[in-house]
Amino acid sequence: MNAEAVPMTQPQHSMSDTIRRPTVAFPLLLIVLTMAIFSVAVAFLSNAFWLSACTSAVALSLSVTGLAVLYGQLGLVSLCQFALVGVGGWVALRIGHAYHPPFELSMLAGGVVAALVGLVFGIPALRLRGLYLALVTLMLAGTFQTIISAWGFPDGGPGFLGRADGAGRAMLARPSMATGATAYFLYVCAMATLGFVVMQWHKLAKPGRAWALIRKGETVAVASGVNVLTYKAWAFALSGFFAGIAGALLAGNVGQLDGRAFSAFESLNLFALTIVGGSYNWFGALIAGLLLRAVPALLTDLGIDGYVTIGIFGVALFHALATAPTGIAGQISALIARVGRLFSGREAA
Amino acid sequence: MIELTNITVRFGGIKPIDQLTATLKAPVAGLIGPNGAGKTTLLNVLSGFVKPEEGSVLVSGVPLLSLSPLNRVKAGLRRSFQTEQVVEDMSARDNLYAIADHVLPAAERTQSVETALSFVRLTAVADVMGARLNLFQRRLVELGKCLVGKPKLILLDEPAAGLTDEEGAVLKDLVLAIPQAFGAQVLVIDHDVELIRAMCSETMVLDYGRLLVVGPTAEVLENESVRRAYLGEI
Repeated sequence: MNAEAVPMTQPQHSMSDTIRRPTVAFPLLLIVLTMAIFSVAVAFLSNAFWLSACTSAVALSLSVTGLAVLYGQLGLVSLCQFALVGVGGWVALRIGHAYHPPFELSMLAGGVVAALVGLVFGIPALRLRGLYLALVTLMLAGTFQTIISAWGFPDGGPGFLGRADGAGRAMLARPSMATGATAYFLYVCAMATLGFVVMQWHKLAKPGRAWALIRKGETVAVASGVNVLTYKAWAFALSGFFAGIAGALLAGNVGQLDGRAFSAFESLNLFALTIVGGSYNWFGALIAGLLLRAVPALLTDLGIDGYVTIGIFGVALFHALATAPTGIAGQISALIARVGRLFSGREAA
Repeated sequence: MIELTNITVRFGGIKPIDQLTATLKAPVAGLIGPNGAGKTTLLNVLSGFVKPEEGSVLVSGVPLLSLSPLNRVKAGLRRSFQTEQVVEDMSARDNLYAIADHVLPAAERTQSVETALSFVRLTAVADVMGARLNLFQRRLVELGKCLVGKPKLILLDEPAAGLTDEEGAVLKDLVLAIPQAFGAQVLVIDHDVELIRAMCSETMVLDYGRLLVVGPTAEVLENESVRRAYLGEI
């Protein structure tokens, strides 16, 4: 018998002011601090090429954080996340070119529409899991790829599609407070930090506990009073929202987007790197974003074809699935915890 | 008090529960029967995961079958599962909060969770992750979850499975104390006849989905048809 040895009959605990829930503020502050150090370091150390690559990487990490919620918290495999990034970019460009609102409004519109589309994409998840959900979402990503190929991205021309038809592509203006490359990188980092904090709060609070129960089993969740439909829908909407924001930030980075960048394969790649980066720790999303954009940039810098990364990521995925299911972030987190225990003298033999 | 009237469940051509009528009044009641007797099906009927073809269920006079599974939880129905369902990457405390979130106003959650943790003697390990708890502690977390938020009826499906005799004895004491401490009736399903004998003052025995006998546990376990059907005696 290993339970705490306390005499038992009546509930022995009387509520007092000293009882407090463990605070969620510290983990959230840690995210802000880490991102501040990361963003300042990159801003000061990077040249224009690396700054652009890191801007894309951080923007994409926002879409990874949504995917990490679906996979890490709910155990759902969604293979259409990059399509939602495309939806967000598409809407942001369309709104930006048509109405010229502040960048934030275009970005928000991209996030909201992607959240709605994410909600629709999530409908199969109400009945499907595992391989079948993966297949259905992959086919949805393929459908988006087909639509984008046929319609293209709006580039400042007239009409609903906003195609310029060779008259020169208009560029989406960056936010007025961040028109320069470094300022825009810091702006993207600030948005990503906000996204990470929101997602981490969700994981540590009521939604995260409900998602954990759903992952354990829907019967278990219902028996605990969890409305499975609501919490699954919220996860998909939230995931879609941040994917949409990521798309808008990508559009702001280069001023335009190429529809060919949003193929179904990119969704596969994004999911694989979510696992490699680590879907259970917030900074796994940042690692995945860097892998997705910084590693190809590094290879290009070294004169090696960036497509080599596909093979590298394949090996990394196999390694993660076989030996490190918590990904790189999980391993780093475990290492930090181990070092912490060593320093505090509590390390077991 | 649980009042079952003419409950019939049909899965295709099979009736796992057939015309079941019984009343359980004891604060801690037992439900036993051989494999396939319909025990878990009855538990699923009570918790709303299986809809009976006909019949009615009253719990303390409240009709249960008209409520959705979620509303039954909100009305005070709690259940544990044969295999414990503690979330590994949440602390023991958060496992209890996971149900408190949905059955209590925010202002009442902490008190209810801490009271339940204290009752099941897990306060000292409240912040330990589920994965690091031993089986007994995980069983206690399951029991603690059932105590959060003014429970009225607690359904325990083999709560002592896999526990040592000593652990089972502690669990028995905890279960026996629930009605007085929390005002809830407890229905225990277990294959361990000795545990049922020690815990339950009233026991219902099912056999092939039909009621074999219901009454004071000592009398039920001495009943000739029970000994023949369930205990394997001739």
